[in-house]
Amino acid sequence: MLNILVCVKQIPDVDLVKMDPETGNLIRTGVPTLTNPLDLNALEAAVQLKERYGGAITLITMGPPMAESTLRECLAVGGDEAVLITGRPFGGADTLSTSYTIVKAAERFGPFDLIFCGKESLDGATGQMASQLAERFDAAQISCCLSIEEVKDGRIRATRALESGRELVEAKLPCLVTVEKDNYYGRLPNLEAYLAAKKAPIVTCTENNIEGLDLQKIGVPGSGTIVPKIYPPELPEPGQMIRTGSVKTDVGRLLELLAEKGTL
Amino acid sequence: MAQYNTITPEVAAQLHAAVGEGRFFLREEVDPNYSHDEMPIYGKRLPEAAVDVETTEEVSAIMKICAANRIPVTCRGAGTGLVGGCVPLAGGLVLCTKRMNKILEYDMDNLVVRLQPGVLLKDLAADAQKHGLMYPPDPGEKTATVGGNISTNAGGMRAVKYGVTRDYVLALTVVLADGRVIELGKSVSKTSSGYSLLHLMIGSEGTLGIITEMTLKLIPNPVCDVSCLVPFRTVDDCIRFVPKIKLAKLDPQSIEFMDADIVTSSAAFTGNPIFPERVKNEDVGASVLVTFTGYDEEELDQKMIRLGEIAKEAGALDVLVVATSANKKSAWAARSSFLTAIEADTKLIDEMDVVVPVDKIPAFLIYIRALGDEVGIRIRNFGHAGDGNLHIYCCSNELEEDEFKRRVKIIMDRAYTKCAELEGQVSGEHSIGHAKMVYLRESVGEDVFDLMRQIKAVFDPDNILNPGKVCDSSVTM
Repeated sequence: MLNILVCVKQIPDVDLVKMDPETGNLIRTGVPTLTNPLDLNALEAAVQLKERYGGAITLITMGPPMAESTLRECLAVGGDEAVLITGRPFGGADTLSTSYTIVKAAERFGPFDLIFCGKESLDGATGQMASQLAERFDAAQISCCLSIEEVKDGRIRATRALESGRELVEAKLPCLVTVEKDNYYGRLPNLEAYLAAKKAPIVTCTENNIEGLDLQKIGVPGSGTIVPKIYPPELPEPGQMIRTGSVKTDVGRLLELLAEKGTL
Repeated sequence: MAQYNTITPEVAAQLHAAVGEGRFFLREEVDPNYSHDEMPIYGKRLPEAAVDVETTEEVSAIMKICAANRIPVTCRGAGTGLVGGCVPLAGGLVLCTKRMNKILEYDMDNLVVRLQPGVLLKDLAADAQKHGLMYPPDPGEKTATVGGNISTNAGGMRAVKYGVTRDYVLALTVVLADGRVIELGKSVSKTSSGYSLLHLMIGSEGTLGIITEMTLKLIPNPVCDVSCLVPFRTVDDCIRFVPKIKLAKLDPQSIEFMDADIVTSSAAFTGNPIFPERVKNEDVGASVLVTFTGYDEEELDQKMIRLGEIAKEAGALDVLVVATSANKKSAWAARSSFLTAIEADTKLIDEMDVVVPVDKIPAFLIYIRALGDEVGIRIRNFGHAGDGNLHIYCCSNELEEDEFKRRVKIIMDRAYTKCAELEGQVSGEHSIGHAKMVYLRESVGEDVFDLMRQIKAVFDPDNILNPGKVCDSSVTM
């Protein structure tokens, strides 16, 4: 029986987020949210292990109250318990304070044999959380996991993706695993689980009920980084398409342009 | 056989002048894509010339020139047809509407939109949504033009609940073969005002006139939607489930059927295995994807619960829910890719788009699969199970083209006969073009076919509009 923690995050639909050209701030108002897709791959890996070996999956996320919908989505496909860390003091956290907060909130549901994370979130994309969590949980880490071969006798064997191949690795439990999507495409929930997840209780953790929480280590005060400015990358000048429909006219125009630029 | 003239330098100059610089193309300047649609197996032919039109006035001027000089004119949108409908069989001129792509205005009091025929379906759908409205017809090919959809009376996935393109066309501006411009229909919700030439024009595949402006009906956008995937062990069990959904008064927006082969092809093609091939340790033989729309989640939950009950009674392996935006996007992307997925792993392909009474679907599918095995042709199928419209694809990677065509003809001949026996129709939504004319004739009989020809002659006495299509056999490949 495995006790598994899966860390998930609700993100804005990154295809729809735009940047305010004046302030550099991301405009999130009215943008639909979704569960970070790579977290769903991690959850699928965890669910497959639960089906194989038995056990329970605790889901944890930090975010505004609406992040509850992400937890319910994950409960529907195999989570057993869900924890939402929410409250204004947690706002503005970077990865350092977020990893601290998650580990403190998760303590009462542990100890965990396995912790699963997506390899990064599509909005922040720092890819730092998993390693920080592994450190704080005092767990081994297997990154870029393509497939889990076996969990047995307090050890996990898994295949990792390398740039030029694959490697089979073994680690002691507890172990944190970040998952590649190739073999762990998220499943659709079945109807009963979907309806049950809508009504399932969610454990809410705030700055007031996480035992031993150091308020100086959460939110902005606990962050080790600051973001002085966000700005879009400078893009090269877009190309010009010449297509009048007549090859003769197109070529003539091209020659004119090249002459104007002094290329000819 | 009708006698047509070639495009002389003088006529070319007149056509060129009618549209202006950069939109008239003569002989080798013509885009080779104008020689075919998405089914090149029905043959290709390049026109002598092509024009990209932008206004009704230009179309009228072009038609006057072509009528005076007896030049055949084949109208074309995005070229996504599947029956050779826009292939210029008699050469002449291809008149392309792709630049007539403006959405002109919304009338929010009457929920109608006025637009040009070259607007793409996906662009109309997205734009209507921004106005809080929905254009219900939803053919799988989202890059088709709306004008093309009207010319073929395209159907699509939502037809079960909302009907087909015809049900949303209120008015059309049409240029006749001699260049006269007529208005058909009005922005009214009912009419009992003489013969409906509007409805004659819809689905006429560019043989009666050229549509240059449309007024379409929209509906308020449903607040929420959810889909359920219901997998079964066998195709037969799956199809027998379809009428039960309707009888349960669940009012689904769509009921899409997919067999195991097409799910596998689509997953390989898109890299998106959202439709499972195994459920509860059993192989899935076929699934239906049922979509509900509504105005609150509770309403949808109740519908899903009822669906779950009848699915269980019908022996479904499970009921899976497609509720999140990401899963919806994946599911519909996979569903919309079925044809592309078949095309991607098939060298030779032919198709039929029959529609049969819903309760006859299993009989037809069982027949066609056995026929494919007997003749030695791989059959792939999917379709709109909710309205009995099946897309059957004959595929081969091994056969030479001549042998493929010989075998497919055997299949087509026998399958359309079977379709007629089952009280079905030749085409549910892809139309006739030139590829299915012989089967239309057999299906409707000589009296009806002759009436169609007489109607065509009234609109186009010199037979210059899209010759060789629907009911005109005077021009062939």
